[in-house]
Amino acid sequence: MRILVCCKVTPDFEALRESEWAAGAGSESEARVETRFTPRVLNCFDEAALETALRLSDQLAARGEEAALAALSVGGQETEPFLATLRALGFERTVRVSPGADLDFRPAATAALIAAAARYLGGGELILLGDRAGPGDGGTVPFRVAEELGRPCLSRVTDVEAPADGRLRVGWTADDGLRRATISRPCILAVGNAVVAHLRVPTLGDRLVVRHHVTEVLSPADLGVDLETAAAAGTCSLMGLDPVDRSRQAELIVGDTSRDRARAVYDAYVRKALEET
Amino acid sequence: MDLSREAVVEGLRAIAGADNVVTERHVLEESSIDRFRMFEGLHGLYTQPLPAAVVMARSTEMIADVLRFANEHGVNVVPRTGQTATEGGLETAVPDSIVLDGSGLDRILAIDEYDMQATCQCGVPLQALEDRVRELGLTTGHSPQSKPLAHLGGLTATRSIGQFSTLYGGIEDMVVGLEAVFPDGTVCRIKNVPRRAVGPDIRHIVIGNEGALCFITEVTVKLFPYLPRNNVFLGYTVDTMEHGFEVLREVMVSGYRPSVARLYDPADGAYHFAHFLPEGLSILIFLAEGPAGVAAATAAGIDDIVAARPECEKVDGRYIETWFADLNWGPDKIAAEREQILQTGNINRTTEVAAGWSAINGIYENAVRRILAEIPDMTMVGGHSSHSYVNGTNMYFNYFYNVVDCGPEGEVTKYHTPINRIICEETLRGGGAIVHHHGLGKARTPWTRDEYGTSYHMLETMKRAFDPNGIMNKGTIIPA
Amino acid sequence: MSEVATGNGPKTVVALDGTCGSVERQARALAGFLRGGVHGDVCVETWVFCDDVCAGERLALLAPTGDVRLAEMPATRPDVMAAVLAEALPAHGVELLLLAGGATGTEVATRVALRTGGGALTDVLDVEPGSEVAVCRRDVYSGHMRGRFALTARPWCLSIDSSWQDALVAPALEHRVLGVVDAVAGTGPSFLEDVELAAPAPDTGIADSRFLVVAGRGVGSSQRVRRVEAAARRMGAAFGVTRPVAMNAWAPMDRLVGISGARAAPALCLVVGASGAPAFYWGIERSDRIVAVDPDEHAPIAAAADAVVRDDGVAVVEALAEIVTRRRSKGRRTT
Repeated sequence: MRILVCCKVTPDFEALRESEWAAGAGSESEARVETRFTPRVLNCFDEAALETALRLSDQLAARGEEAALAALSVGGQETEPFLATLRALGFERTVRVSPGADLDFRPAATAALIAAAARYLGGGELILLGDRAGPGDGGTVPFRVAEELGRPCLSRVTDVEAPADGRLRVGWTADDGLRRATISRPCILAVGNAVVAHLRVPTLGDRLVVRHHVTEVLSPADLGVDLETAAAAGTCSLMGLDPVDRSRQAELIVGDTSRDRARAVYDAYVRKALEET
Repeated sequence: MDLSREAVVEGLRAIAGADNVVTERHVLEESSIDRFRMFEGLHGLYTQPLPAAVVMARSTEMIADVLRFANEHGVNVVPRTGQTATEGGLETAVPDSIVLDGSGLDRILAIDEYDMQATCQCGVPLQALEDRVRELGLTTGHSPQSKPLAHLGGLTATRSIGQFSTLYGGIEDMVVGLEAVFPDGTVCRIKNVPRRAVGPDIRHIVIGNEGALCFITEVTVKLFPYLPRNNVFLGYTVDTMEHGFEVLREVMVSGYRPSVARLYDPADGAYHFAHFLPEGLSILIFLAEGPAGVAAATAAGIDDIVAARPECEKVDGRYIETWFADLNWGPDKIAAEREQILQTGNINRTTEVAAGWSAINGIYENAVRRILAEIPDMTMVGGHSSHSYVNGTNMYFNYFYNVVDCGPEGEVTKYHTPINRIICEETLRGGGAIVHHHGLGKARTPWTRDEYGTSYHMLETMKRAFDPNGIMNKGTIIPA
Repeated sequence: MSEVATGNGPKTVVALDGTCGSVERQARALAGFLRGGVHGDVCVETWVFCDDVCAGERLALLAPTGDVRLAEMPATRPDVMAAVLAEALPAHGVELLLLAGGATGTEVATRVALRTGGGALTDVLDVEPGSEVAVCRRDVYSGHMRGRFALTARPWCLSIDSSWQDALVAPALEHRVLGVVDAVAGTGPSFLEDVELAAPAPDTGIADSRFLVVAGRGVGSSQRVRRVEAAARRMGAAFGVTRPVAMNAWAPMDRLVGISGARAAPALCLVVGASGAPAFYWGIERSDRIVAVDPDEHAPIAAAADAVVRDDGVAVVEALAEIVTRRRSKGRRTT
């Protein structure tokens, strides 16, 4: 089975300070949250998708089926260390599409590149990716790719199993609880709050084995994608960013002991809330 | 020990009050280990003997009474405050020990802005003290990564050191006076003076004793002006660690005292700085701080030294500033780490040593080479120097491995201890110190005698003198 | 009479998935959005998707608008919903499509926009439909910033932010069913077979709670999280956790509060040992009062709470529970 996992490397947004967020506000031409100096991380939902793919590959191997794993990322040089890790974990092909432009808030362009790259890689029966990614967090890219490739797509996936009967069973978080179903391929699975969220770690020995393997780097032109046309097709553009003010009074509750402080909280807040319930 | 477990608990209740004596099993389990056996603990496995009880101390008098009781009956006592120890110092190596917890003594007793010192009980979190004095435009200058969690008592007991030590020194340079309780219940106070020559400096019996000689109940530390507005962050890539050590040495020997002077090797550098550090290069990091003229001159001086080195290239200081802002270990990161370890079976460990300039690079290269050759399942081996002196520096080995084909209880014996052995052997061979600042704990006591050589006589005499019944944290510092 | 302005403005359809159990919540959210999130006049009707047109007549009573059309689709087939809308919206001259937030809303808004050449935006906080452009706001950067977006090509296909789910129940409307939307043939079978509900979502009471206690990763261990939960129960409060606590398996995933879980608007929320990262804080930001217990000094919630208690979270919550239960039994004895 050919499995393609798409992953995004983003700045570690949680490492940014309030002052840096505030400085990022402004109209479209000014609005820029400075993330150049921030360490990079794998988008957590994509990380879960990668580990889900690896576990699926383990299960397929256990039932005598081979899986070919490929990883795809749209991004710049900062993606390379992560792709090197994926090669060491058994991803036979690692492809990076270097967009040559900032694709933040341009999911149409991102999806066009992913779809074109997926075709270039031969489709893949199963495409996995995280169901949303920053900074946009819109969650539309999986469905945009699905439309482009003419495939069904399921989001909020929690896990994928390969039971002995030869099928593939998928779990996902539906509105009414945790659901499971058998899926037919080809399809796209967008991973949400997965059962296992963290990517396994390759040994130095694993890295040594693949040290001469490289990322295949493609440009939009290599894939026949005109970025401007693709982005314009989204017909949705960012006008500006505003800071979000969540500040409240932040009164400090004092007291000599935990009990005294609890009493103060009770008198000021809990008693009234209980009267209202 | 001449008491049963139940009799120990009864005796403690009579001294401390039942409310302050905790015997719930999950508390006893978690209190039997520290970060050294974290992997076992994460899996709910506790291989160390369970203590009889955890006593939440409320006063120096209570601590004295508990120690007197334990001394009379030969019960092992493990002192603790913030529980951030990493070398097994908090392990209850003896069945039915007493874990004596001072975190409830959490009052800041005095802040003297004229004499520039602050006095705290042992359970004051360093972050709390630092936040208080910053409101006054002051700082303790002490910033270990455990700052959000560690308490003054434990920080003093382990001879801790912080990120800004190259300017402010380690805890031993910051402590002015203190109060400690000895096993026979004697309470000793050392007064606060800037310096004195009235015999040996007895503070150093207490600082770094790791609970093997006494229980620290109060500490006074120096204060310094807090001047972050003058901070200058500097970073330079360098082609080799050997050249990097040369630069560090030149900065120190020239007389500059940046508060931060670090050198990361390519592996550890990639772990922290992959977003801008080219593969295969090491990186030097400096922070110049203090009064405006001093900070500027320090930064300019370092720049000049590095500019003369063709193998170095400057990086944008904003990378360094951003990285530094997110460095400390709060409860968030501790909990995130637990989740990651359980899901991946991959664990991060550290071992830190120190040596003179002439030996440090050899120790680093030999240790890394041997770890790679002799230890299986390594996923990263590297390190950095983070505390420099005119006559040498430390080496903080940072490494990760997958725990494979062994239960959680096997992690220490299969990986961590063999790695420690390699690092200690190479450090001793190079004439260095096998622990720079984490404390010997119980993890590196197999090498205590080698570390001390003939001076071991002084250590064991002190132990016999202050703890003749051997009740203080058996197995820590002095091998059991 | 409907409170939503009708007659003028872009022709708008509110689409409800009537085949799933959340239809009432969808309707309330969209009703609230129409009242408070649409800045400008719209000419709006509701299309209720159901697997049986007869059942649809009943579901029409939930519609947030007076005018209703029915459309057929098999149970929970967002692909079919998208196909029907993609065909029918242009045919009916619809310029603005509104869907409830969630996985279905995201899929349908995206697919319909792509098939019709329109623009899509998800988790929208509000919209100002103009003559040329619709301006929308939504949270970005994990909730750290709010983005303003312009959609040009129609139809504008929006799913609304889940924050509208706590909207007040809409006043009763007089509904009239205008007809059935023409179905599209040939959408084919679903790619999902043997669908089962493996674990129904338990009713945790979080979303409707008036007093909520949330434990964060700073609480420190699964045992301590259980102690916080026990104290919450003794006080009669609902109990939730932040994502790290759930991912640590210190509490079940269904207790999750935040963008990936439940959203609440209680009178009082006690947040114990949590930093208040935006993705979590979104889940409680509509609380009347927030008290943060044992937050990290530099944690965002220290400034985003009405009161802050710097103390061990478990100790404070257990002491509170003791006070509450003592007052409660005293109250019972005097009555």
